[in-house]
Amino acid sequence: MFFLTYLRRELRRRMRQAIFIALGLAVGIGLVITVLGASSGVRAAQAKVLRALYGIGTDVTVTTKPKPLSAAPISGRASSGSGAVGSGSAGAGSGPHAQVCINGKCYSSGTIDTLLSVNYGSLSQRTAAAIARLHGVSAAAGGLVLTDNRIVLPSSSSPSLEPPTSVSVDGTDISHPRLGPLSDGRLAAGRTFTAADADSDVAVVDANYAAAHKLAVGSAVTVAKTTFKVIGIVTQPQASSPPQVYIPLARAQALATDPATGKSMAGEVNTVYVAAASASGIGAVSREIQHLLPQATVTSSADLASEITGSAGSAAKLAGDLGKWLAVLVLLAAFAVASLLTMAAVARRVPEFGTLKALGWRSRRIVGQLLGESVATGIIGGLIGVGLGFAGVAIIDKIAPKLSATVPSASAAGSGLQTQTIGPGSGPVASGSAVGHATIAVPMSASVTIGAILLAVLLAVAGGLLAGSFGGWRAARLRPAAALARVA
Amino acid sequence: MDISDQIIPAPVAPLYRLAGVSRSYRKGQREILAVRDLDLEIRPGEWLAVQGKTGHGKTTLLQLLGGLDRPTRGRIEFAGEDLASAAEATVRKLRARSFGFIFQTFNLIPTLTAQENVEAALIPLGVRRGLRRARVAAALDSVGLVDRAQHLPGELSGGQQQRVAIARALVKEPRVLLADEPTGNLDEDTRDEIMALIAALWRDRGLTLVLVSHDSSVVRRAQRIGVMTGGRLSIRQDTRA
Repeated sequence: MFFLTYLRRELRRRMRQAIFIALGLAVGIGLVITVLGASSGVRAAQAKVLRALYGIGTDVTVTTKPKPLSAAPISGRASSGSGAVGSGSAGAGSGPHAQVCINGKCYSSGTIDTLLSVNYGSLSQRTAAAIARLHGVSAAAGGLVLTDNRIVLPSSSSPSLEPPTSVSVDGTDISHPRLGPLSDGRLAAGRTFTAADADSDVAVVDANYAAAHKLAVGSAVTVAKTTFKVIGIVTQPQASSPPQVYIPLARAQALATDPATGKSMAGEVNTVYVAAASASGIGAVSREIQHLLPQATVTSSADLASEITGSAGSAAKLAGDLGKWLAVLVLLAAFAVASLLTMAAVARRVPEFGTLKALGWRSRRIVGQLLGESVATGIIGGLIGVGLGFAGVAIIDKIAPKLSATVPSASAAGSGLQTQTIGPGSGPVASGSAVGHATIAVPMSASVTIGAILLAVLLAVAGGLLAGSFGGWRAARLRPAAALARVA
Repeated sequence: MDISDQIIPAPVAPLYRLAGVSRSYRKGQREILAVRDLDLEIRPGEWLAVQGKTGHGKTTLLQLLGGLDRPTRGRIEFAGEDLASAAEATVRKLRARSFGFIFQTFNLIPTLTAQENVEAALIPLGVRRGLRRARVAAALDSVGLVDRAQHLPGELSGGQQQRVAIARALVKEPRVLLADEPTGNLDEDTRDEIMALIAALWRDRGLTLVLVSHDSSVVRRAQRIGVMTGGRLSIRQDTRA
């Protein structure tokens, strides 16, 4: 084909210039791919955090604020001595007469083991069913995000007050395995819940928690003084701060207490996990839920992503703002250089185009020839750019430090004791916040997506077309006589 | 004598008919009249040579005849079509089919071989590849360059390059050959060689040839010789039958 022969010969003749233009475009396109790769890496890191919080299939979560407490659910007094016990800190009890009161009931000895909903207010389990019926919702499941607090009070055999312990417990709706925190877990041993486990005292535990407490399938864990048999061990993404123990929702409802009312949470949930029918419908679903439950806090994954702070958030901003604009500027510069060089090449080839016009070539054909050359140069630049992009992403992967993400965490609340514990002879010494936060180290893994490669090809073709169209426009406007006069 | 016994040659309609043709250019504030009030007829198969000093309008006249430029005033009829007012597409088609150009500087595409340069003239005609190659081979054969078909212009001598240009002009079998100083860049021997070739092709193919040159030895074979002076053409010699 004459077009291709001519194109090939011209590119070979102007190889140095073609390589220069192609390299310029390649740098711009490589930078775009690198920035996109880094952005997708940061987004993936954020997504890991979010998935771990609310499960892989959850688009929207619905919670309510906890009701104000009429009195401290847990309070204490010491009849003698002094000392304090704070959350996670070593106790310094000095006497055997410490007294802890929970919802008006006071204890002076033994073990207190309570399962409380400390972060969120309660919702009727029927709420999940009502949300599931909304337009654009594909599924909704209720869950209980709870904290199991255990305090061993001093006794004559053990006179000092041990530090209280707390375990994050998730009441899992077994009928919706694709929603909620457990959906993102990978089974490391044993099995997960089945429908037959709905009312059984069985638990799935997080692998880290199992390792720390030497738990295996068949071991026992105690939640609210009830012994649960471990049936499975799950691994959650490294970036997450997952619940430590998962138990069936019905058992969690039976054992949990709402600290605001001091009553059992039977028939109640404190989080509803919602999956939208389509990604584009998440906004509409959020609005519908908000309309249905005006008092509720409706949080989409995008809302959560914006709440992520720390270096993950900074990296996202860096990639999104500085990186994006840098790539756009380099790309524009590359396009401009390619256009100017093509214009200069057209200026040098004016007599050639004049001759072709004298031979009866249509302007359209001459412009097409020029565009073909420019697009071919652009595609070569695009291919080199994709290679540079891969290299850039590999370098980022190699040198990028782990990102830290500070996230609003449901389960993270379990890491802080949400009670006031009084040591002997002292007032309140520690309190947890109503909304938990966790700082997580997130490994960043930048990757080149098909979309980024397609964008690179499109940019390469666009760059070529842009450069070629400037030159082509000039060539098309040439009068044959004027063009030929340039020879003389 | 009875009128029927007389042999009266049939009147030949001119191929070109130029009436009151002027072409002016604006150069800054000055207006330069390259061709002024030119009236001319050219018959089919005629060889018209135009002499004149540089800058007196020879090339402009040739470009007007070849549809590369349009007059500022007047009519240029070619086979009944007015090149001055015809649509650009019409003029382009005429350039593609009817006019063959030979330039002083050969104007070959430097990246294309001799064969491809000649082939380029058939592209606008939409000739299929197989036929194109056959016609190109025949054209190169007619100028004695079949063995140089795969050479780039840079690998050919000036005379050979001009032969390729002649082959390119002739491959489409035009009605008119327009040659602008075709020997201007050649040495004396090559000049004579090229002029002999052009003369032979003109004779053998029945072409209409308009040749522009300032060299008297080049134009002497023409049937009619005109001289351009200050944009005006005056015929000095006419040996047509």
